[in-house]
Amino acid sequence: MAELELDSITKVFHDGDEEIVAVDDVSLTIEDGEFLVVVGPSGCGKSTTLRMVAGLESITSGAIRLGDDVINDVKSQDRDIAMVFQSYALYPHMTVQENMSFGLEESTGLSDDEIGARVEETASTMGIGDLLERRPDELSGGQQQRVALGRSIVRDPEVFLMDEPLSNLDAKLRAQMRTELQRLQEELDVTTMYVTHDQTEAMTMGDRIAILNEGELQQISSPLECYHAPANRFVADFIGEPGMNFFDVDREGDELVSELFTYPLSDWMVDDLGDTSELVFGIRPEDVSLVDVASAEHDFEAVVEVVEPMGDENTVHLHFAGHPDSSIVASVGGLQNVSQGEELAAHIPEEAIHLFDRQTGKVLHNRRLDSEEAVDATL
Amino acid sequence: MTKPDLKDDSNDERSKGTADGGRLPRLRKRFDYHRLGLYAVLLGIVAFYLAPIEAGLVTSLKTRTGVIETLPMSPPIYGEFSTASWIAAFDTLSRGLLNSALYAVPATVISAFIGSVAAYGLTQANWKRRYKATFLALFVAGIFIPYQAVLVPVTRFWSNYAQIEGLLTPLWLLGVDRDYTDLVELMITSIAYGIPICTILFRSYYKNMNIEMIEAARLDGASLRRIYRRIVLPLSTPMFAVVLIYQFTQIWNDLLFALVLIQSTSSDAAPAVLILSGLGVSQEGMNFSLQMAGALITALPTIAVYVMFSEEFSEGLAT
Repeated sequence: MAELELDSITKVFHDGDEEIVAVDDVSLTIEDGEFLVVVGPSGCGKSTTLRMVAGLESITSGAIRLGDDVINDVKSQDRDIAMVFQSYALYPHMTVQENMSFGLEESTGLSDDEIGARVEETASTMGIGDLLERRPDELSGGQQQRVALGRSIVRDPEVFLMDEPLSNLDAKLRAQMRTELQRLQEELDVTTMYVTHDQTEAMTMGDRIAILNEGELQQISSPLECYHAPANRFVADFIGEPGMNFFDVDREGDELVSELFTYPLSDWMVDDLGDTSELVFGIRPEDVSLVDVASAEHDFEAVVEVVEPMGDENTVHLHFAGHPDSSIVASVGGLQNVSQGEELAAHIPEEAIHLFDRQTGKVLHNRRLDSEEAVDATL
Repeated sequence: MTKPDLKDDSNDERSKGTADGGRLPRLRKRFDYHRLGLYAVLLGIVAFYLAPIEAGLVTSLKTRTGVIETLPMSPPIYGEFSTASWIAAFDTLSRGLLNSALYAVPATVISAFIGSVAAYGLTQANWKRRYKATFLALFVAGIFIPYQAVLVPVTRFWSNYAQIEGLLTPLWLLGVDRDYTDLVELMITSIAYGIPICTILFRSYYKNMNIEMIEAARLDGASLRRIYRRIVLPLSTPMFAVVLIYQFTQIWNDLLFALVLIQSTSSDAAPAVLILSGLGVSQEGMNFSLQMAGALITALPTIAVYVMFSEEFSEGLAT
C-alpha cells in the first residue's frame, strides 16, 4: 500500500496534425488508503488519467509516483496495480477460479496451493465461493461484477483503479454494490482511484472527489465541500441534482441587478466581491423556499410552471412574474402543496447564495453555513 | 389414450380453418405456389452442383466399355459395374496421398500459426500505428500476388539461391530419398504464400476481441507472450478452424507450385495432385473411369477436414 501522486501530468493525443489535450497539467495526491473519486462529464479526461496511472496510456509530460518511485516508464504488468473495468473484462474461456488465479500466477511466485487458498478466501468474502467452477457467460451481471472485483482484490495490489465499474448494473444492484465497495475498500485499506460520471457515486463513496472538466482539474476536496463550497461555476453546476440555478447579474453598489430581479446585498457580502461587477448569481434549489406573498426584500414574485412530485420532496419549476422565458427551480418539502399556474413568491436567502466571476467562472463568495463548527465537522 | 387426442387436434384445426373464413385458404394457395417455385429453383441448383460429382462417381464405377457405351450420368448397368478403377487409382495415388499429407499438414498448421502470431502483433501489441499500417499493407499486397507471376522467381530462388539439399543431410542418412528436397521446398513455399491471407483472417478476428480483457491481463502481470499463450490463443479456436480448413484445401489442391517445384510425376516425392494430373492418360486413350476414381480419392481428405472442423468453422464464420 502506498501513496499515489500525480505530478502535473499531461496527455496530448495527435490526430493527424491536430493536437488534442486530453489531460492538462493535473496534479493530485491520493493518500495511502484513501478512496478518491474522479468525476466529470464524458470526455473530460478522467478515464485517460486513470489509464495513465495503469500504464495503458503513455504520459506526455509530468510524473506519476507510487510511494517514492516514479513509475512513468514501468510497464503495466510490473506496476502492481489492479484495475476493474467497465466491461468487467473477464477471461471468457476460464472459470471464475482461473480468472482469479491468473493474476497471481502471472505476477507472483506463489505455489498452486497458496494461490488456491487465497482465491478461495477472497471468493468467500466476495460471496462468490460457490461460483468458482462456472464460466463468466454462466454468471449474471452482478456476479460478473463481483468476480471482476475479486480478481483485483485477490492480488492484494498497491493501488486499485476502477473505471466506472458499476455503470452496467441496474439501479438497485448499483446502490447495493456502492455500499459494498465502500465497505470493502475500508476493510482492505488500499489506495483507490475510482472514475465515474455518476455524481451520486462521487458524493457517497469517496473520501475526496476530484472534478475534471476538459482535461483540467477543477477542484479536489471532500464531497460536502465540493457541494457547499464549489471552487468555480463548473463544479457548482456539476455537483447537485437538480442543478444550481444561475443568473447573470451586474453589481451596482450594494445591489445585484439583472433583468429579472434586483437583489440587495448586506455589507458583509459586499466585502467578498472586491471590485468585480460582472457576476453570476447561484442558488441551490433546496435553498429556495416558496411563500405566499413577497413580503421581504429577498422575496420575488414567481409563477409555477411544472411540479415534479418525488414523494419526499417536490421539484418546482417556476418563472419570475412578468418574465415567462426565465426559469428557476425550487425543491420544497413533499407535503407542501403547490399547483401549476399558482402565483407565489420565491424566497432566496442571502446566506445561501453563491457568486461567481462571470469572466473566469471562479467563485467569489460561497454560501454561509449555519455554524462554522458544523462545517468543520462535515468537511 | 392417443386416439381421442388426435381426434381433438383435427377437430381444432378444422374449426380454426372455418373460423378464419375465406381469406386464409386463398392466401395459403398463393403461399404454396411461392414455396413450390422456391423448392424447384433450389432443387435445380442442387442438381446443377451435384451433377458433375454424380457423373464422376458413376463413371468411376464403370468398366471401360461401360464408360464408352453409356451416358456419363447414367448409373452402371449390370455387367459393367466394376471397382477396379478405384483399386487401381488408390494403388497409384497412395504414395502421392502420403506425400501430400507430409507437406500439406505441416504447411497448413505452420502458416496458420504464423498468421495468428502476426495478426496478434498487428492488433493487440503496443507499437506505433504508422508501422502497423505499413506491415498491414504488405500483408494485404501479399494476398493479391498472382501465383503465375512468381513461378519463375520461386524456381530460381530454390535452384540458385537457397539450395537446401545439404541442410537436410540427416534425412538422407536416415534413408529418405533425396527427391524429398523438392517436397520441403514446396512446403516452405506454401507456408510463405499462405501467411498473408492467414494474417488478415486472424486480424479481423483479433480486432473484435475485447481490448479491456487484454489490458486486464497486462495489469494482471502477464507479458505480451503470455497473453498470447493464455488468452488470445485459446480464444482463437473458431478462427483456427476457418483458417485450417481454408489453408488445407488451398495447399492440398494447389497444382501450380507442385508442377514447378517437383521434378516429375514419377518422382518419389510427387504429391497426389501431380500424380492425378497424369493419371489415366495413355496411348490407348483416356481412362475416364480411372481419372474419376483418382479425383474422388484425392478430394476425400479435404472433405474429411471440413467434417472434422465443421462446428468450429461455422462459429468462426459467424464472428
